[in-house]
Amino acid sequence: MGVESQRIEDFRLTKEPYYLPLGNEVELFEAAYHGGLPVMLKGPTGCGKTRFVEHMAWRLERTLVTVACHEDLTASDLVGKYTLRGDETVWQDGPLTTAVKSGGIAYLDEIVEARKDTTVVIHPLTDDRRILPLEKKGEVVAAPGEFQLVISYNPGYQSVLKDLKHSTKQRFVAIDFDYPPPDAEETILKTESGVDDDVAAKLVKIAEKVRNLRTHGLEEGVSTRLLVYAGQLIGRGVTPIAACEATICKPITDDLEMQRSIVEIIATQF
Amino acid sequence: MTFGPAVGNVGMYVAREMLAAVPEDQRQAYLRMVEEISELKYQLGVEVARQLPRLLAEHEPEAVARYLDQVRQVAAVGWKSGVEVAKQLPDLYEAPDEQLAEHYVDIIADATKGPPEDTETAQLAEELVELERELREMEPKVKRAQELKSLLAARDRRDEKRRKHAVELAAALPPILARLRPRYRPPYLAQVRQVAAADPEASLEAADTLLDLLNGERVSPEGAAEWVARGLEVLERNKEVGRGYFRLGSKYALQVLDELKEGLALKSVARVLKLYATALSGHDVAIRGTNELQAMDVYTAEHIVLPPEMRFFEDDERNFTAYKVATAHGAGRIEFGTYGFTLTAVPDLVADLRARYPEGATA
Repeated sequence: MGVESQRIEDFRLTKEPYYLPLGNEVELFEAAYHGGLPVMLKGPTGCGKTRFVEHMAWRLERTLVTVACHEDLTASDLVGKYTLRGDETVWQDGPLTTAVKSGGIAYLDEIVEARKDTTVVIHPLTDDRRILPLEKKGEVVAAPGEFQLVISYNPGYQSVLKDLKHSTKQRFVAIDFDYPPPDAEETILKTESGVDDDVAAKLVKIAEKVRNLRTHGLEEGVSTRLLVYAGQLIGRGVTPIAACEATICKPITDDLEMQRSIVEIIATQF
Repeated sequence: MTFGPAVGNVGMYVAREMLAAVPEDQRQAYLRMVEEISELKYQLGVEVARQLPRLLAEHEPEAVARYLDQVRQVAAVGWKSGVEVAKQLPDLYEAPDEQLAEHYVDIIADATKGPPEDTETAQLAEELVELERELREMEPKVKRAQELKSLLAARDRRDEKRRKHAVELAAALPPILARLRPRYRPPYLAQVRQVAAADPEASLEAADTLLDLLNGERVSPEGAAEWVARGLEVLERNKEVGRGYFRLGSKYALQVLDELKEGLALKSVARVLKLYATALSGHDVAIRGTNELQAMDVYTAEHIVLPPEMRFFEDDERNFTAYKVATAHGAGRIEFGTYGFTLTAVPDLVADLRARYPEGATA
């Protein structure tokens, strides 16, 4: 019986990810990290949560193991399982175990999408025990001081059926994220997509207007990520209106009247 | 066996055995006699055909002729008595008293004929026949009279209904006229007058519908006239369908209206404009038509009031742009608080301006 683990160095960031701090989130995260506290990042899609974690992993010089949670994700997928390799039964560490053993940052993205039994697995890692029991292996892995657990979730997606249990929520330090203020968003756009001041300002203006529709049939406002995509398309020669329709309008709604109103908003700027 | 051309229908009364019993040289005469007597009454022919073979065989032709005369004599006053006499006479001829048969015939003939006053019965019968003939002749006239009666009754009911609807129209029209925009009164009255003349019930429907169409500017006065003209054609063909037309209850009425409609309807783009204005202003904006002004307080909510139809341009795209410009204008007023201005805010505003631009300061 052998043990396999993913190469931890594969999870080390070699280049600083661009992140523009919008408040005290960097200080909060650092304090939580040094205190051994798990962190929960809350905010809408595409507002920079994942980029923030990457930035912090680079800043703290830690490896970052990211798990995109989904409804078929089991506790074994996270922790590890026995697999057959020829005639031998091999234990394969899951991404969470890999992160714990290496003292890196484990980032469970959209944790609420995972099955309920999966979320319970992380509980011993989130209190003062800081351990990860590997039940199938009959082993307990103690997390080193450098390890940190980070989860993210989007409160806008949650419902009665799909929400984090309070017993889970109350184990984390929460950092709220939202779309950046206009000036900051313009800076982000210019940096990420290379558009000029004018285009950046117009894209941000469009986003600001479209986000006003969030309570009028639009589930989520247009994200900073989509604005970056729009900027990138414009930078590659796509006309601004076509770029905005493809990135800002069509991905966020299938409602034709909503789409038309967004197109009109775009037309007010370009 | 053949009977020859004089026999006619006599074969119906003469059985083969009867004819066979008649001497061959007398058969033609036999058949002729039977035929002649049967012309008086079928039953007489049957009985005479039965008795004649015996008479022809046993008596002289004069006796046979007398038999036939006596039968005819009695049958003339009553055919049933004639049949009975035709049956009994041959036996009476056998009696020793030759006068017996003659007396018998007289008695039966008198008995059948009855007393002289019975001529009155015959007259009555004749009169009855005449009357019945006249009644038969009258039948088509009676039928026509009944038809006319029903027709007049239906017309009377229709006129009654018409008068009733005219009264209803008299009550309904003044409040409608009060709601009608003054500039639409002349065309409105002209159209309602036409429909009322054709059918007051339909005019009740038309009065309401035309009010909405004109006040709501869904059609021009010329369009309304065309819509009414097409409705009158429908009304002429079928009253019920025509009334449905004037209450906009038929597909055709809506189709005609759609043809006559000019410009872009607000309701078809209201949601897009609402979302547009909401996005621009950041406020929950409602889009209302000018035809809805009575149903809302424009100063208490975030409304943008627009015409129900936009017909500045030929094409819908530019009409939509016109709507969009008006919407953006309204959204700007909502966003920057034009309608939120209150007098209580004036002192603060003045103080603010005074602080910003102190007296004696130069630009």
